[in-house]
Amino acid sequence: MAQDKNSDEFAGPLRRLLVGVLVLALIGLFALWRIDSPRVERMRAAAIDTFVPSFDWAMAPITGTANLISDFQSYQQLRTQNQELRRELQRMSAWKEAAVQLRQENAKLLDLNNVSLDPQLTVITGVVITDSGSPFRQSVLINVGSRDGIIDGWPTMDGIGLVGRIAGVGQETSRVMLLTDTSSRIPVTVQPSGQRAILAGDNTLNPPLEFLEDDTLVRPGDRVVSSGDGGVFPADLLVGQVALGTDGQLRVRLAADYQRLEFLRVLRSQPHEPIPDPDNLLAPEAEFFGPAGINPAAATTAEVGDG
Amino acid sequence: MAERADSRIWGHRFAFLALAFLILAAQLVPLNFRPSGFAGPDVLLAATLVWVIRKPAFLPVLAVAAVYLLADLILLRPPGLWAALVVLLTEVLRRQHRELRNLPLLAEWGTVAVGIVVISVAYRLILALVLAPLPPLGLTIMQAAATIVVYPLVVLVAHYIFGVRRVAPGEVGARGQRL
Repeated sequence: MAQDKNSDEFAGPLRRLLVGVLVLALIGLFALWRIDSPRVERMRAAAIDTFVPSFDWAMAPITGTANLISDFQSYQQLRTQNQELRRELQRMSAWKEAAVQLRQENAKLLDLNNVSLDPQLTVITGVVITDSGSPFRQSVLINVGSRDGIIDGWPTMDGIGLVGRIAGVGQETSRVMLLTDTSSRIPVTVQPSGQRAILAGDNTLNPPLEFLEDDTLVRPGDRVVSSGDGGVFPADLLVGQVALGTDGQLRVRLAADYQRLEFLRVLRSQPHEPIPDPDNLLAPEAEFFGPAGINPAAATTAEVGDG
Repeated sequence: MAERADSRIWGHRFAFLALAFLILAAQLVPLNFRPSGFAGPDVLLAATLVWVIRKPAFLPVLAVAAVYLLADLILLRPPGLWAALVVLLTEVLRRQHRELRNLPLLAEWGTVAVGIVVISVAYRLILALVLAPLPPLGLTIMQAAATIVVYPLVVLVAHYIFGVRRVAPGEVGARGQRL
């Protein structure tokens, strides 16, 4: 009863204790994140997995209204857009003809060379549920997760170009870190010069190329594809085109349409089979006759083990 | 204590939780994926401060902690740090709400501005101390400034739509207690 009269003064010490414990618990969680980041990030993925799908009904009207407005705007420009598209279509049909011929030629050449492409590069398509929700991070959440066999690190594309990589997998959702995020680093090759570089996201639409060996060989307009270095990504996924930034830095104009990401394709990228012992590849279980001390096969294995 | 509180208070508490939920959902709507060099206001923070200064009874500290921990997890911030700082700031303001309600809006606004700047600086300092990746400085400054600018607007919305008004002098609670 006395508490009700003037709850502030009586509940003071208890309340202060509660607040103290609460703040300590939060700081403790932060410390735990700093010490054991992967574990807490898995917790985060699980929490997002639980909560974000329940945001869907709240987001549906907002998304709907925004789409309505953008649709209305596009109606106004319908005529000019139509003409533009016709012109583009005309140009594209010429390209299509060229592409068909090139494809046939390519198929013939591949056949002649007896090249076998990686048959295991298949895709899973997911729908974008949310974006990162803050201007500091560039990522999206898609509606496929470990249930669908998604694994951390797999590359993600829209119809045309590379969009990002999977970073964080929940049961039903997974997060795609976009190439524009400040912590995104992708090994790329610039064609046709073949220069290797790292595409480093910096929270701008056109990420810069870093660690170029010789930037005199790279010209604006060159194609940028993933290089497959480090075994992170499969090689030859289209990333974009080189462009010269206003600050004189070489940047990449991304091929993927970042204006509107709706469906994303996650590539099931199988890691390359490691070859630990090249000798056995040539002659499996080569029998060696002679003193054991100078067995060349044993020596190579020992060296590989050391390295 | 809690069981005896009148149901209107609980209604207002749920109204805040629903508002927080709505603000978070609105931030997550996937409309534009181009990184913009512009950071909008942290509306959730502004709303929390308005609530805690004007009607602290509507905003229990557990609700603040829960909402901000969820926001930390969803918005990919380091979990816990920003939540802890906001809880500390709301507790400081909660203790001063009797003094603040006798001051004009400008003084209240100034206090809030100082509070937002202090926790933003503390956030960056702690992240730098533990060598965690820092968000871009320009965006942080922009966001803090935008949050301060948007504060009076949130006050208006809270006043007219959610009925979060300052306690009038001499006003008492349902059981005659001092507010």
